[in-house]
Amino acid sequence: MLKIPQDILDAMVSHARELAPHECCGLLGGSDDLVTQLYRIKNVVALEGAETVTHFDESKVAHLQLLSPEERAEIAFVMDAHEQALALKDMRAKGIRLQAVYHSHPVSPARPSLTDIKNATEFDVIREKLNLPKPLYLIISLQDRVNPDLRVYTIQNHQAVSAEFRAV
Amino acid sequence: MIKVRIPTPLRPLTRGQGEVETKGGSVAEMIDHLEGMHPGLKARLCDEKGELRRFVNVYVNEEDIRFLKGKDTVLKDGDEVSIVPAIAGG
Ligand SMILES: [Zn+2]
Repeated sequence: MLKIPQDILDAMVSHARELAPHECCGLLGGSDDLVTQLYRIKNVVALEGAETVTHFDESKVAHLQLLSPEERAEIAFVMDAHEQALALKDMRAKGIRLQAVYHSHPVSPARPSLTDIKNATEFDVIREKLNLPKPLYLIISLQDRVNPDLRVYTIQNHQAVSAEFRAV
Repeated sequence: MIKVRIPTPLRPLTRGQGEVETKGGSVAEMIDHLEGMHPGLKARLCDEKGELRRFVNVYVNEEDIRFLKGKDTVLKDGDEVSIVPAIAGG
């Protein structure tokens, strides 16, 4: 079971709150199921063309294109590829591995959306070829503003399965 | 020959192919060569200045070109290039 230090859980909630109503995103690194490092990654979904290179389905792309760039981050995230690469490189340097990918749902429940499942499924195929570890997916829901809900899932083959984590 | 993995969102530009073959040279030359075969691909990967867009990574074998020599990274016969969209969701 994934163990996440309380300060890292708090830091993810802070990240989500700072960026609301936009979605935040980031990576958790660690070893032996213990998270030791949080990496905030910039959400660049608003950049021109971002929605067309990512694994969004046609309806999501159409929805994003109806929104202004500022609004796009309210319903989606795309990690800054450079920051993502730097985080993965830093993990290698520290001798830790990718444990989880996190992002926030500012107004919806902490359940993976179809877009989350599709993107994670596609990432699962390529990450194996690139020798990247299989991450868990953590979602921070701010639907209840007072009590943020954090949940963890495994996602593969178009299926999300609830997983457990423990605050330490 | 260099093998290039094309992610699903860009396959409409490669007539559905998930893997295409290209010549060696630098990554920049490879992208130009791909553009010659599959027009439109370069604009999805690079901005007007030819820099890799902030939502896509290019790997040579298992290494991100950002940590090699970027676009000047030289490809050799048998290398596998992967075009990988940044992690995303909704
Ligand atoms: Zn989501």
